[in-house]
Amino acid sequence: MSQSTDAIEGVNLVYHRFSAFHRFNHYLVMVSFFGLTLTGIPLKFKTSYWSQLMMDAIGGVAAAGFIHRVMAVANILYFVLEVGYMALYVVTRKGPVFHDDSIVPGKKDWADMKGMFRWFLGKGSKPRLSRFTYWEKFDFWALFAGTFLIGGSGLMMWFPEATTRILPGVALNVALVIHSNEAFLAVGVIFIFVHFFSAHGRPESFPADQVIFSGYLPVEHYIHDRPDEYANRLKAGTLEEVVRPRPDAGRRRFFSVVTTLVTIFAFFAASYTLLLVLWPLAF
Amino acid sequence: MVRRAPTTAGELGKKFTFSKRWALCVALVAMIPALFWTPSASAADGVAPPDPADFSARCLTCHSQEYLGSVESSQGPRDLHIDPAVYEASAHGLLPCNSCHIGFSHDPHVMVSNAEFFAETAGEACRNCHDDQFEMYKQSYHGELTRDGGAEGVKAPLCVDCHGAHDIAEVDTLEYRQSIADVCGKCHGGREDSFLDTYHGKSLSLGREASATCVDCHGDHSILPVSNPQSMLSQVNILPTCQQCHPSATQKFTTFLVHVDPTSTDAPLLVFLVAIGYLALIVCVFAFGGIHTMLYIYRGLRDGLYSRKGGH
Repeated sequence: MSQSTDAIEGVNLVYHRFSAFHRFNHYLVMVSFFGLTLTGIPLKFKTSYWSQLMMDAIGGVAAAGFIHRVMAVANILYFVLEVGYMALYVVTRKGPVFHDDSIVPGKKDWADMKGMFRWFLGKGSKPRLSRFTYWEKFDFWALFAGTFLIGGSGLMMWFPEATTRILPGVALNVALVIHSNEAFLAVGVIFIFVHFFSAHGRPESFPADQVIFSGYLPVEHYIHDRPDEYANRLKAGTLEEVVRPRPDAGRRRFFSVVTTLVTIFAFFAASYTLLLVLWPLAF
Repeated sequence: MVRRAPTTAGELGKKFTFSKRWALCVALVAMIPALFWTPSASAADGVAPPDPADFSARCLTCHSQEYLGSVESSQGPRDLHIDPAVYEASAHGLLPCNSCHIGFSHDPHVMVSNAEFFAETAGEACRNCHDDQFEMYKQSYHGELTRDGGAEGVKAPLCVDCHGAHDIAEVDTLEYRQSIADVCGKCHGGREDSFLDTYHGKSLSLGREASATCVDCHGDHSILPVSNPQSMLSQVNILPTCQQCHPSATQKFTTFLVHVDPTSTDAPLLVFLVAIGYLALIVCVFAFGGIHTMLYIYRGLRDGLYSRKGGH
């Protein structure tokens, strides 16, 4: 035990947090979400000066509509892959499906949230966070449920004639309300209020956390940021499953460049969305 | 001495001295400008009627002055000032003023002081060139209003109320199609807002010319109330109307509601509940996320966590 602990604290090891599948899915969601936002949000804020500029830059509403549909297919693919992964996980897992390191919300998340607010206000120490924090679980499940709602309503409006063979016409009214509001909610949550900050902007990760792009992070960072998972793995002796040798310098530089580029683009996307939303309010 | 007339070209040539030939060349060269001469100058003899451009120029001597103000008419105040640049850029820009102002008399103030002028002559003026459209309009509900005087407080729309007058637009342009909802909204207030919130309205606003607007579903010159069986949107006609753009549409497709404000209690209950539910959800999530973020940043700055190298 002591030997493995020494090894982990050595500088030449990294903690492997996300598999290639999860990273691929994040890339898929990221690209399609940006694409859908850039081509869709101008429709919602149609009176904004920036919406017209954006539509002209894309090449018109018809071109934007085509890109929106291509990106929608990619976004739906993420959802299908994720559902498949969950089904496979539940079927093949030997231990309990719900456990401390699970993405499923539990009692500890409620306690952690209260603990974080106490820490924010200087009334306690920071809670010992698990593999997935409560805000990460919110991010994951909000996106998962949101994709179902926005994808479903989007498909209804993509094929309105087929939809109204089964459902009454008012279903299209409901679909429009869902699609438009869910898009605004999702963009607000991801760009402004939750995801960009909690994943990349919080002090532990600032200015950008590369773990979702590379899959790994320095072991000392892991021990500091996820003490509960670390303790669980130490106790269960499963630390070797997630600790690997540090990748070579070329690979590290590659992921550093990817993270930087994505961060710059994310700042652009967030500012652009804010402009679209705030412009009509200001003028 | 009797001169004999020259009988051959050679003899004729001898008759011309060098100086005569030179004079002929000069005369021919001098006539070259005549090739570019146009007969316009000959009309300016003060007797012939003024040509169209000249006629308009006379009107605009006064009416291009911005200080002219407006005059009351049965259709509300009318601006007497005409911007020549706007008029010339309009679809009628080549027509002289009196092709539409058929009631023009020697004293222009007789014409403009007649409050009935617009109702009586405005349509007739358009009819001179647009007879088919005018007949359809006469049969429409809008046309009916001009004859009946309309219901109380309802003013019958004339050609110019929808098409504009001195700024009249080409109807097949994107700009005109984009302006239709606002034009209809002048009388049918609120309907244009709900239309602009549909995909048809949003995409048209941002430049998709093919998107349906008011007249594509309700009809244009021959427009009738939806309650009239002849209306494009009556129970009999609504499906073919939708099928103009959605060939595979079925009867259920036609029950989509274009003019709905989801957050109004007039909306179908399900639409209303979903809209209000989302509003509440968005406010709660953004507020909670915003507060959480602010507090996290506060703690991070307070404890100097942002200045640590690598953040850990």
